[in-house]
Amino acid sequence: MNRDTPAAGDTGAACYVYGIVPADAAAPTGVRGVGTPPAAVDLLPGGRVAALVSEVDPTKPLGTPDDLRAHARVLDSVVSALVPVLPFRFGSVVDGRRAVADELLGPSEEGFATALASLRGLAQYTLRGSYVEVRVLRDVLAARPDIAALRERTASLPEDTGHYDRLRLGELVAREIGDRGEADVRHLVDTLGPLAVAVARGPDPDPDQPIDVSFLVHHTRWARFEAEAEDLARGWSGRVGIRLLGPLAPYDFAPTAVDGASEGVPGPWV
Amino acid sequence: MTMTVAPRTGHYLDRPSPSGLADVLDLILDKGLVIDVYVRVSLVGIELITIDARIVIASVDTYLRFAEAVNRLDLKQDRTEGLPELMDDMRQGGARRKTRGALEGVKETVGEVIDQVRGRGGEDEDEEEEPQERPRRRPRSSGERRERER
Repeated sequence: MNRDTPAAGDTGAACYVYGIVPADAAAPTGVRGVGTPPAAVDLLPGGRVAALVSEVDPTKPLGTPDDLRAHARVLDSVVSALVPVLPFRFGSVVDGRRAVADELLGPSEEGFATALASLRGLAQYTLRGSYVEVRVLRDVLAARPDIAALRERTASLPEDTGHYDRLRLGELVAREIGDRGEADVRHLVDTLGPLAVAVARGPDPDPDQPIDVSFLVHHTRWARFEAEAEDLARGWSGRVGIRLLGPLAPYDFAPTAVDGASEGVPGPWV
Repeated sequence: MTMTVAPRTGHYLDRPSPSGLADVLDLILDKGLVIDVYVRVSLVGIELITIDARIVIASVDTYLRFAEAVNRLDLKQDRTEGLPELMDDMRQGGARRKTRGALEGVKETVGEVIDQVRGRGGEDEDEEEEPQERPRRRPRSSGERRERER
């Protein structure tokens, strides 16, 4: 708490931190931040880097859908303008502008600057897909006679006696869908991976969303990446519903970039 | 958007704009930098009322849901029937919502909330959905979250 000697422009208010950008980045215009009403977003420089911040009232809870979208919108708009950014997780609030400059930027300036340099010109694209249910279930039954047979059996069983068979049926179906997801993800990575400098798989296999892969792509390849993703979606139409998010801030890749910078590696993908 | 991005002429790829809330949630809650991993910094423990995107529907429910879905299939129906309609839906980004709807049968309330959020796609319907989300929210300080991540 340094409120008795506030930094220039320090109003004593808590600072919501969206992320870190190079010091020469232009302040974002026309993008509102988190809070009700939405706060103005500005840059707080510290050496070669700057924090994207807005004032926030720490006594009011954060997390409305508007807050969540605002956090993402601020970061994604920076990347769309070809400015590299290290996104922070939602809800990072620091005790005033002075603390941001002295405690956050000061000690990590070199590491942040190196990580930002490794992300210059790059943005994240995330592809997520789920199967068209009727289609995938038909495909599963056609390919797996054992599952089809179990289905026949459970269909004729009364509700109370067939519980474990039904559970087993659902488990087999979910696993088969998971295996199909694996194969489709491999195809996706083989197809689009060569256009990216790095690829990150989604967290856990989820039969409701078997496809979740992120790509770090240089802006000179954005158009081609989008066109090839569209081709892939056309090839899968009727079977897989697929959505493309991006260009996004490098949510999946920033931690690797910063870890690499702290170990003197200028970004694992350089 | 910048000038380097080709016009969005695609019809098969769903490009929600703005991104659906579920997509935003796991990007900004589970990913990105955790602020105090790198430095000791005076954090303010602000109350976060976000829906916990990491709630995982118990696998038992998932299995029963798939079992019910596969049992409901009408195998006598010609495989190609209905496909043009599905493809139309897909071009409008509707196939996913349709899938969700069909799967919803046996789900618990938690699952339903996640589904509502997920199924929202690109639409902005905050005002009408907010009251439904409210009871599902869990207060959680950023301090608690940091502890869980260690």
